[in-house]
Amino acid sequence: MSELRKLTFAYLGLLALLALTVGSSLIDLGGFNVALNLAIAAAKAALIGLLFMHLTGTLPRLAVAATGLWLIILFGLTVIGR
Amino acid sequence: MSGTESIAFDTPQRERRADTFAMWVFIGSEAMLFGAIFLVFLVAHIDFGPAFAAASKRLSLPLGTFNTAVLITSSFTMALAHMLALQRRWRATVWALVATAALGACFLVVKGIEYGKEIREGLAPLLGLPFTYAGPDPTHAEFFFGLYFAMTSLHALHLIGGIVVIAGMIALWRTAGPANRLRRVVAVGLYWHFVDIIWVFMFPVLYLINR
Repeated sequence: MSELRKLTFAYLGLLALLALTVGSSLIDLGGFNVALNLAIAAAKAALIGLLFMHLTGTLPRLAVAATGLWLIILFGLTVIGR
Repeated sequence: MSGTESIAFDTPQRERRADTFAMWVFIGSEAMLFGAIFLVFLVAHIDFGPAFAAASKRLSLPLGTFNTAVLITSSFTMALAHMLALQRRWRATVWALVATAALGACFLVVKGIEYGKEIREGLAPLLGLPFTYAGPDPTHAEFFFGLYFAMTSLHALHLIGGIVVIAGMIALWRTAGPANRLRRVVAVGLYWHFVDIIWVFMFPVLYLINR
């Protein structure tokens, strides 16, 4: 049953974060709106990755780290090059 | 009885590890595809921020929010399918998969309603449809809607793919042994959750910029 509890926690957490991100967009925080929205999206992705996708083990984490590194290079070089 | 689906593997454990790793590498390649499009959007947003913010306000926030909740729920039922498959409760697993596919279809229907609304309002710069946008900077607003339709339709194609795979899996359910059922649920589950994560980022990027 603890697995079910874990999944339910993740689900309710995701819905709460969705409410938070929509709610925060109704308040004008200047440039912080975008940063907050992306931070909330990252938190949702972490919940899904860790609790729904069971991101464990060396090889899967290696694949995710390689993906993340390449995306950082892709975004980083583009933004720096402008 | 051994439970390997391919003769390439000595043990089910090795096959499972290879499967999972392959799915993560595939997901990484998909993240590259979507990452590149998000990057185009980011650069355009830096250049044409006010036009993008004004155009974003024309999207339906209630429908977008509803759809996000639908997709999160489908990820939850997919995670339940994985849990139930591990417990070998196969009938319940199938129902969780059916619920996941149905929620995915619900997402697509709502997306279709949104598309219809945007086409009627003249906000769809595709297939030679008339683009009539009264707000500021219509040229770059048109670019926003072009990106919006490119990103959301690419996401919808992935969702259609997921629904087709789930349907195929259920069709082949009786011919598959327990180990293969579990492996397939795990693989399609990873894919489904990934498509959900893509939407988790698309929703604020498209619907909530400077709202």
